[in-house]
Amino acid sequence: MRPRVLLALFVIPLGLIIAAVPQNKTNPFRLTAEELLAEANSRSQFVTPETVANMIVSKDPSLRLIDVRSQDEFEKYSLPGAMNIPLSDLLSEQYADILNQDVKMNVFYSNGSLSANEAWMLTRQLGYQNNFVLEGGLNYWFETIMNPEKPASSSPDEEFAKYDFRKSAGMALGGGGGVQAEKTQPSLPVKPAITSVPKKKKAAGGC
Amino acid sequence: MGPLAVNEIISENTNLFLAFLIGIGFGFVLEQSGFSSSRKLAGIFYGYDAVVLKVFFTAAITAMLGLLFFSLFGWIDLDLVYVNPTYLTSAIAGGVIMGLGFIMGGYCPGTSFCGASIGKIDALVFIGGLFIGVLIFGLGYKLWEGMYLAKFLGFPKVSESLGLSDGVFALILIIAALGMFWAAEWAEKKFQREEY
Repeated sequence: MRPRVLLALFVIPLGLIIAAVPQNKTNPFRLTAEELLAEANSRSQFVTPETVANMIVSKDPSLRLIDVRSQDEFEKYSLPGAMNIPLSDLLSEQYADILNQDVKMNVFYSNGSLSANEAWMLTRQLGYQNNFVLEGGLNYWFETIMNPEKPASSSPDEEFAKYDFRKSAGMALGGGGGVQAEKTQPSLPVKPAITSVPKKKKAAGGC
Repeated sequence: MGPLAVNEIISENTNLFLAFLIGIGFGFVLEQSGFSSSRKLAGIFYGYDAVVLKVFFTAAITAMLGLLFFSLFGWIDLDLVYVNPTYLTSAIAGGVIMGLGFIMGGYCPGTSFCGASIGKIDALVFIGGLFIGVLIFGLGYKLWEGMYLAKFLGFPKVSESLGLSDGVFALILIIAALGMFWAAEWAEKKFQREEY
């Protein structure tokens, strides 16, 4: 048989198959289930309300709050400077640049921490970094920052320091913190470091 | 899984090493297909030898089918594969210059190194010309920077511009290539030369 006929017999059926099957649009996950489980168990994705409050008050430019609740809920109440990416739109292409970056620290929040954690898991499985979850969500935020509970008088000093910090942060953010404490400079909460992702290099080709 | 280097499955250095091995294999196949002879290469312009068309289209079809099937099986993410940016003006100008150089010198850049590797003098002269061209382009870059970067069209694929799926476009290209092979073999008989 002539080479051309042989080639045709080989490539035409392959071409027919590839024309008939739907295009593979699925994005493979970058992390295995085991890797993700280990990371979720380490709870390193959570940032405390104190850390976030401190960053908001000090106007830290690296913070980006992302509200994963619905648009209605976002319009009713949101944290200062937050943007809204409803969980259902999380994988939409328009948000890819926001979620996959190495400049800002994205903090997801929802009412509890369930939806925010779902958002973190999805983005983490896609290999994105620098996404975090507000620990306890808005509910815990209100409990700790906006309406902090005064510790019992027998509590250790750190508890009072924490309370003072929460109260002053809550006041700065418009909560009902009461009178500001006069002393005890609280130790500032530590924020997680932003991991820089090496930029994807592009290959060039030619004849 | 793939692309391996982008997904950091292999390092950038391993990637270069693999490219080196593939490059040697590519050069070997080119040489074996007769791409080190400028008269054979120039045959495509006169119709007496269509080996250029056949080798490059077979390579393109093989790579295209390979990528599409790999993507179908989930072995490679085509969104991460590099697509050449299109600057329309420089693409046309470059095509004309490259074509003129090809028909005058009898080589394209890759095949000139192929010819030089087996000691062809004309290939060495061609490489000399190539470097003169590179120098002129580089030193005079300011003069043609505007034209070089004009009409940027992004990273278009032919299938997207035509509104077809990659698979359907692949089938059309396969049929077109086989048609061209048939026409090329007809031309080879019609414009036959005894020795070249």
